[in-house]
Amino acid sequence: MTTNTYIAGKGWLYRFDPRAKLLLMLLMCVWFFLPVTLLHLALVVALVVLVGAHSTGWHHAWRTVYSISPMLLFMILFMPFNVREGVPLVSIGSFTVITKEGLEQALRLMSRFIGITYVCTLLFATTVMHEVMLTLRWYHLPYKASLVVTLAFTYIPFIADSFSQISESHRLREAEDEQKKKVGQRLKDLVPTLTSALVVALRSIPNLAMSLEMRGFGRQERRSSYHSLDAYHHVCTNFLLACIIPLAFWLASMLF
Amino acid sequence: MINALSIEDLSFTYQSWTEKENEPLFRALSLALPAGSKTLLLAPFNKGKTTLAKIICGVCPKYFPGELQGDINLYGKSLSDLDPWDLLPVCTYVSQNPQEQFVATSVEEEIAFPLESMGMERETMHARIEEAITQWGLQDLRTSSEQELSGGERKRVLLATMQAIDASFWLLDEAFDDLDQHWRDQLKHLIATKDKTVLVLASRYLREFDDLFDQVLLLDEGDIASGDRSTLISRFAHLCGDDLPSPLETEHIQPSQKRILSCKSLQAERSRVSTTKSKQFTLEVPDFQLRSGELVTLVGPNGSGKSSFSRLLCGLDTPIAGQITIDGEPFRDKQLSKRVGYLFQSPDLQIFLPTVAEELSWSLKRRSDLSKSEIESRIATCAELFSLDLEDTPTTMSYPLRKALQAAVYYLLDRPFYILDELDSALTYQSTLSIIAHLRRNGAGILLITHDRQFADKVAQRSYTIKEGRLIAV
Repeated sequence: MTTNTYIAGKGWLYRFDPRAKLLLMLLMCVWFFLPVTLLHLALVVALVVLVGAHSTGWHHAWRTVYSISPMLLFMILFMPFNVREGVPLVSIGSFTVITKEGLEQALRLMSRFIGITYVCTLLFATTVMHEVMLTLRWYHLPYKASLVVTLAFTYIPFIADSFSQISESHRLREAEDEQKKKVGQRLKDLVPTLTSALVVALRSIPNLAMSLEMRGFGRQERRSSYHSLDAYHHVCTNFLLACIIPLAFWLASMLF
Repeated sequence: MINALSIEDLSFTYQSWTEKENEPLFRALSLALPAGSKTLLLAPFNKGKTTLAKIICGVCPKYFPGELQGDINLYGKSLSDLDPWDLLPVCTYVSQNPQEQFVATSVEEEIAFPLESMGMERETMHARIEEAITQWGLQDLRTSSEQELSGGERKRVLLATMQAIDASFWLLDEAFDDLDQHWRDQLKHLIATKDKTVLVLASRYLREFDDLFDQVLLLDEGDIASGDRSTLISRFAHLCGDDLPSPLETEHIQPSQKRILSCKSLQAERSRVSTTKSKQFTLEVPDFQLRSGELVTLVGPNGSGKSSFSRLLCGLDTPIAGQITIDGEPFRDKQLSKRVGYLFQSPDLQIFLPTVAEELSWSLKRRSDLSKSEIESRIATCAELFSLDLEDTPTTMSYPLRKALQAAVYYLLDRPFYILDELDSALTYQSTLSIIAHLRRNGAGILLITHDRQFADKVAQRSYTIKEGRLIAV
């Protein structure tokens, strides 16, 4: 998941009721696993990416792809070799390296991965975290469980932020005569960066626990809620749309 | 009159993670604060100021293990019968490091969280949050996440939260640090006018403290000393080494080369993605110069772009217009990073290896012109200069020692220019000046970012400030 932070905006996704949006996200995740053709899957994924880019900006859309690019590269490099049966595309003598089916499977997996990443990212990029919390509670998730979910998503940007600051710090400590680093050295340098990010994350655990308790987490009386989801209108219409959108995609894939 | 806080015979020793036992931090410490009193507790570094605050809040030794003895009462109730969450309406703690206290995802949520914990009515919450947000100038940052805030803005959020909770006892750990003069004045006014018991913990005596407190105390040798205010302040200055001659006065700078770092017509932009309300931040630098051997200060309000400017100067960010030159030659990105050292505000993001020796040798090992023995000799000299133990583990070292290590790393890099981002925050003046003197020994040009105008006026040869997005010479 590449949820970095909420990105303020005014598009239709921002006006969509978060409860319905969560349902839409789940249904779309299921949709990506329906038995549809690769072309239909790719078209729907492209549409999701376009809607996302329109809502949160091209920069965010690109950043999302960029952050999952190592996984995508891994998939396209190694997945096609797993399927040996089918129409050969690349062969060395009698040995089939890549088949049409293997390539198709890799592309299908990549499309699903991009699609799921985007719908999840879009939910968090277009919904402020307290509304995510209220939504989870509306679905009867206990308060503590909802808090854990939202805290987890608070800590992803925190760790990402720490990681980038530590990387920058390494860059600032390079020797003046240091030449461009080879891949091996760059990978080796990742170890202390990751270790320090981990140390920063681990050190934050007692601080977080301390702060939560100092802010009253653990008190016996019932918590009140500053925000509500009352500002969202046409909730039924939104829920209907959340069901219709994936259904329409599926029907379209059947008909065309 | 009932005491808001009474501590009797408090002893505390941190749990040791090595074979060597730790020294007790407090020995039979006693303290009584009458309800409604305003107290300043001065403490040199490493004397347990923050630990004492955390003990009073009931989170130490719970989350920071150690052996605690003694009686602590808050408004007549024993702390041993209370949990940290029970103290919410009674005592609010504002941490020295604001980052460690954030629990929510936005400014508004951060302020609302404790009020929700108290089960407060929505209308009451709304009124309190609006008042706090307006008073601390956070209107445009309501939906901003903690990562998008500057150090001073984070501190203001914590102070706004404290004000919204409206507890009867405020425990403020270095609360004036990170704040610019406007917000320091506001905090001073708040402490002076509100009918609260206030305990301010500080490791530097700031001029804002004059006439603000009913009593001044000193934490030293594990106990609290009281007495004549001026005697205590003099004793405190002596403990911090502030009565010693400034290391800058005795230093002999020998620049090997006269170099000039300059910027012309530089422009930068930054936006906060989590809010559409706040204006896009722009920074203009019509003319800036830093010469070898100079000590120049940059003073400006919170969020004015001091850190953004630093990031441009050391090549971490790229300007949208203008250029940065060294001796008239344009430099950018990595070329700049290798010439302008930038000491982040937080040392923890710049030290990452298991031992001091490894930390210090990390950059030297990457140099092709140094032998192993030369590296060892250099790090040994450097460790001695900065009073560091080569076998120490940085993550368990005290904050001032971590700061010293961060500076020692850059000392070995021997950059021609350094940016020191709020180096004086949480360090004594003497420690700050001695770090500056070490870094400047070979004639490096230093840009010191600080909120302490008094300190800036005292040490700076020249000064810059940022006003309405424009960097200007003062």
